[in-house]
This record gives sequence, structure tokens and C-alpha cells, in this order.
Amino acid sequence: MVTNVLLTGVGGQGIITASTILSQACRLAGWEVKKSEVHGMSQRGGSVNSYVRFSPDQPIASPLIPEGEADVMVAFEPLEALRQIAEVTPEGALLVEERRIVPVTVNLPGFSYPDDVLDRLQATGRDVQVIRASETAVALGEPRAANSVMLGALSILLELPDEAWGEAMGLVLKPKAVEVNMHAFEAGRELVGAQSGAG
Amino acid sequence: MAENARKLSNVLLSGNEAIARGAWEAGARLGSGYPGTPSSEILPALVELGDVYCEWSVNEKVALEVAAGASVAGARCLVTMKHVGVNVAADPLFTMSYTGVEGGIVIISADDPSMHSSQNEQDNRNYARAAKVPMLEPADSQEARDQTMRAFELSEEFDTPVFVRPVTRICHSDGLVEVGERQVVELRGEMAKQPEKFVMVPAHARKRRVTMSERTQRLIELAEESDLNREEMGDESVGIIASGVAYQYAKEAFPGASFLKLGMVWPLPPERIRQFASKVGRLFVVEELDPFLTEQILAMGVHVEPVDESFRIGELTPGRVREMIGGAAMPQAAPDADLPPRPPTLCAGCPHRSVFVGLRKLKAYVTGDIGCYTLGTLPPLQALHTCLCMGAGINEAHGIQKVRGHEAPVVAVIGDSTFTHSGITGLVNIAYNAGVSTVVILDNRTTAMTGGQVHPGIGETLSGLPGRELDFEKLALAIGIEDVRVVDPYEMAETEQAIREAMANPQPSVVIARRACVLDVRERGPAPVLDEEKCIHCGLCVRIGCPALFDAAGEGEKTLPRIDAVLCNGCTMCVQVCPVDALVVPAAGEGDA
Repeated sequence: MVTNVLLTGVGGQGIITASTILSQACRLAGWEVKKSEVHGMSQRGGSVNSYVRFSPDQPIASPLIPEGEADVMVAFEPLEALRQIAEVTPEGALLVEERRIVPVTVNLPGFSYPDDVLDRLQATGRDVQVIRASETAVALGEPRAANSVMLGALSILLELPDEAWGEAMGLVLKPKAVEVNMHAFEAGRELVGAQSGAG
Repeated sequence: MAENARKLSNVLLSGNEAIARGAWEAGARLGSGYPGTPSSEILPALVELGDVYCEWSVNEKVALEVAAGASVAGARCLVTMKHVGVNVAADPLFTMSYTGVEGGIVIISADDPSMHSSQNEQDNRNYARAAKVPMLEPADSQEARDQTMRAFELSEEFDTPVFVRPVTRICHSDGLVEVGERQVVELRGEMAKQPEKFVMVPAHARKRRVTMSERTQRLIELAEESDLNREEMGDESVGIIASGVAYQYAKEAFPGASFLKLGMVWPLPPERIRQFASKVGRLFVVEELDPFLTEQILAMGVHVEPVDESFRIGELTPGRVREMIGGAAMPQAAPDADLPPRPPTLCAGCPHRSVFVGLRKLKAYVTGDIGCYTLGTLPPLQALHTCLCMGAGINEAHGIQKVRGHEAPVVAVIGDSTFTHSGITGLVNIAYNAGVSTVVILDNRTTAMTGGQVHPGIGETLSGLPGRELDFEKLALAIGIEDVRVVDPYEMAETEQAIREAMANPQPSVVIARRACVLDVRERGPAPVLDEEKCIHCGLCVRIGCPALFDAAGEGEKTLPRIDAVLCNGCTMCVQVCPVDALVVPAAGEGDA
């Protein structure tokens, strides 16, 4: 079985770092994995998507998740979650960072940041969990660790061994950033555990 | 368990890293290139592996010619560029196909279907046919490594440069790769003087032209036999010929179909294609962009199912391939039309935003260039009015003013790296041809859009060693531009005034707006605080287009500026444009910064 994880958000949020950690964790678990994203212009504060596909037992062809087949969406920004919602299967799960990043286009006539993003996500019938990732990371003293909070939350939904996550973070992050990100990761796990009441 | 243990010996590499790995393992001695998405990460990865001299050359033509020299000296060379970079390198390329090589030359043409970060989506497979240079096309990271190694062998065996063409979804996709050690490859030959091979005067070139045709014939024979191309027979009612990432999309969409998977896309193996066609029912060619394979296969007299022209535009996806072959309707995404789009923008705190704010105020017609600064075209700035290719803006300004005169309020803007790449010759042209134009060099001390690479204006090389720093002021003076000004773009009034004066000068002028890219600067100031009582809701601050500053007012209401303190860099441009001092920089210790 192939699992498809779509990570979405805004350029500069550490999405590519997060998807690299996830991909390395899959490799360390001995799984097949492919990851795809775009660099360059789209990273200048624009919408960013990263696709990670993995399987314990079968090869993966396309580096892109086929349309509408994401099993899990990790959204680092609510509006971006709504923009990509059709990429998630009807039974799929969403982890959505609560903090908004308002795009500059709201300064133009005809556009505003919708007030009902979360309602609209929930109305699609998919399982939506709101993660206060930035708030949690700020409380830990490192706002840039919000992506690790999101990864911690994601880890609850996947069946990757704990040690693969830890080792992957050690591989990808700068040595001095590992500890705080590990704390952020644990905090993310607890956020989901608290909401779902299950491990 | 054994299977898992095998996989654990693999590494996870992007296509770009895998290309670097392949070049390193193949014993390359030199890597040259110019940054360009999606190719930019290849040379830095090669530097990291060590043992290979690597440089960011000034542009792609220079990079390829440096490699031509190193090849004459017997070294294996990797040359990297994005698809449009090959246009710049096309001049040496076409004749290097005649001269051939001594040490192998592999040219990476990283194409960008869907133009994620490019000004066009030209299909560089056409270059292979036009220049008669063989081209390999990897379908994942493993193939990117393997084919790069193979390309060096082919280059030396067939005496030709060899293209490897990854696309964005190969360059920037990661996959597991089995790697090996670096081979010891000695320099080939003794630099014997071979004018008939390396001096392309007509008498020599005519002979080489015949050699090239013989070479192509031998390459076709190779393509017929080689494991670069392979058949994967499945359900024989549908046959698919595909290469590169398009093969992966087709495999995802139709895992049970029969495939002829091409690793070499020029030249093609006619016999193998005819044989495959004879074994399958309906034959499809799945390829991104031009009908490059399709037309050649049709010319072989093989019937190929027609494909709607719409599939020739943009990158493919598994869903698009399903639609293309099966006629299955795409699951319609039904995006909510009311969502505000989130295009890329100049960063919060980008020093060079002020140049565009100033140009907008001066109502200039701005001829632009490639790089971050093209973002100056987006609302609300809307202060960049042409973008064609590297270096074009300077020449367009000159052209406009030759027909509209100095009165036309034209300004060319160009980044520092782009200026060294291909802006200098334009400036020489203006001085020489009695031009009048004003050129603003937005000098952010890096090649920013592609991820922050060094260039001649920095005085540091790709390998981190000191290099001679190009002095833009002295260069402009030496070219014959007498009006040269340097400003700090964080000083908005001063920057605008300098541009205004330069435009008024009937002689050609250069304004250098110099301040480092905000992504390279760690220090940041505190976010300004809005004094609600003083704010007159004029909207001037919002109109600088800063991503940290947005209008919280509803439709039809007066502007209500709000600052996102996490995104704010503290550059104070919004403070500088506020006419009533309603935005205040908190003193140290105040505020939430």
C-alpha cells in the first residue's frame, strides 16, 4: 500500500525541511519513498506544496500524488488547506495549523481572507484537526520549530517507528536545532493525543 | 529483513544531487554552470562531494566554453544550466557537436514544464536533434545518477558532448539511490594539437560534418541494443512509449499496460519502436511539451493515437495521463473561487522594494529582467513592464529611447548577478551608440531567486575561496557612463531622488541600489506599531506590497493597516511612506519584537 502525504503552506515556513525529515524517516524504516516539490520563485512567500509518497512493500512510480489521492494533508496555514482540499481523499485526514498568514492579495479589491476557513474544511466531511503549532513552538522559545510540531502531530497518524523520526531529525537539522525540534515534535504528538483521546 | 537491509544502504537524493553524485563517481574533474531553477543545486552538491574543480561561470556560454577547454585537456566535465540557459550556450554547443571532445562532456539541460520558475517552457529535446547531440532523459534519482555516469562513457566513446535532460519533477524530487565510489579517471590524451578536430574553419568543419552523420548512425545502433531503452510487456491491448517523468505518470495511471521506456530520447531506435508497435493494440506516446517523440515515430511510418493539443502545454500528472489516454475526466478540483491567491512576492524587508515604490511614483516605464525583481510587476507595485530574458531590459530601454527620445520616462532595472551574466554588453552598447537610458542595478549581493549563489560582484567563488570582486562603479565609468550613483535603497527618499535625477540627465546613467538580500541578513529591527489615533487610513503603507503588512478592512471600508510582527523584518519602509507618522518604530525594549 502506498501512503500519500501532502504538505502545504507558504514559502519560508520550513515545509521542505519537514518533508525531507518525513522522507528520511521512511528511508530509515526501510520503506520505499519519493518526495517532490518546486524551488525557486514559488518559495518567495507564495503557496508551496510538497508531496511525499511511501510504502513498506511496493515501488512508487509518480513523484506527484495523483489528483485527489492524498491520504493526509499537513497544512501549515488554513487558507492553503482550503486551496488544496480537493487533493485529499474523502476519507482523508487533515492537520491544520491554526495561525493565519494573510496573503498580500487581500490588499487588492475583490479579495479578503475568508472568516470561515475551518468551517468550510469541516463541511467537506474529512477529519480535520486544528494544531496550534506556532503557538506551541513560540512557547518552547523557537518559533521556527512550528514545522516539527506539525510533524509530531503527523507521526500519530503514520506507522513509522519512533526511532526513525528521531534519527531523521538528527540527519536533516543543524545539530544545535535538534533538541528544541525534538521537544516541538513531542509537543505535537501530545496535541493530537489530547484531541483524539487515543495514541 | 534482508530486503530492508539492502534498502538501508541507499541514500535519499534529489535528482540534482544524484546528477552530482553520478558526475563525481564518473571521475569528473570540472563542473561549471550558471544558477537557474531547477538546475541550481547540482554544482553545490558536487562541491560538497569534493575532488572536483567547480565554478559558477559568469553565464552558460562561458561555462560550456570552460568545459570545452578542460575537455581538450582531457578532463571529464559536467556543465549545468536551466533550459533557457542552453539558449545562451547554444553558440558553442552547435559547433562542439562538430569538434567532439577529448575528455567527456555532459551538459545538463534542466527543463521546467509548467514554468514553475521560468519565463517560457521550451522543450530542449529539440536542441538534441538540432545540434545532433545525443540526449538521455532520467525518470528518477537513480536514473539521474546512472545516466550521468553513462553519459560520460558515451561522450568519450562517440566523441560528442552528451545531454542529460531532467525536468523540474526530476531535479526537485527525492528518491532512493544506490551509490558507488569515485572512479579514478586519468586525463585523456596528451593535448596533441589536432587542428582538423578543434579548429572549425570551413574546410575542417565540412569533414567533421560527415563524421557527425556516421556518429548518429552508430548511436542509432546503440539505441537499438542498449539497456538505456527497455520494453516492459503487460496488457498488450495498450502500448505506451514514454520517457523521463512522463513514464512515471503513465506507469502510475496505467500500471498494467505495456511500455517501451526510452532512456535515450535522441536518437531513437526505429526497429525497436516498430517491433513494440507491432506487439500492441493501440499505441500511445506519453510525453510532456512538444510532440518530439510522436513526430519522429510517425515519420517511421508507425501509427500513434492522436492526442489533444491541450496536453502539449504544461507538465503532465497521473490524472492528465488518464484523461489523455483513457478519456477519464479529471476529478475536478472545484477550487473556491473567492480564495485570495498567494503569488510569490518580494520578501518582507526586501531593500529593493523601495526602488519599485519610487519608480511607480515617477510613473516610469520600467524594462525589467530575470530574477526576484520581476516580482515588481505584481500588484500593488506594478512597476515593471517588460521581462524577456537575461540582460534584455537594458537593451529594451535603449531601443525605446531611440524611437521615443529621452522624454520617454524609461528606466531599466537589473539584478547584480544578471548584470554580470549579460547586462554588461548592453551597457557598452548604450555608451557606444550615444544612448540616453538610465539603468538601475539592484545590487543585493547575491543571486537571490535561485537560492543565493555567489557571482563576480561578491568577490567569493563557489568553492568558498576569495575571488576578484567586480566593481560596478568603475566598470560603468570604464564603459563610458559618466553619471554613476550609488544609493542605499533603505533610504527611500534618497533612492527616489537619485533615480529622478538620473532620468533627467540627457546622458546615459547608472544608479546602483546596494543592500544585501534580506534572506542573507540575520539582524532585524522591531516591527512598527500603528498609532490608531494618527492613522488617516490613506493606504499608502499597504500599497508598498509588503507581505507583513495587510489591510484588515472589509470591502469598501477605509484601509486598516495591520502588521504581522512574525513576518515583519523591521525595514521601516512603511514608516517612511506614512505621511502622518502613524507608524512608529518602538524604542528598544518596547513592543513584542
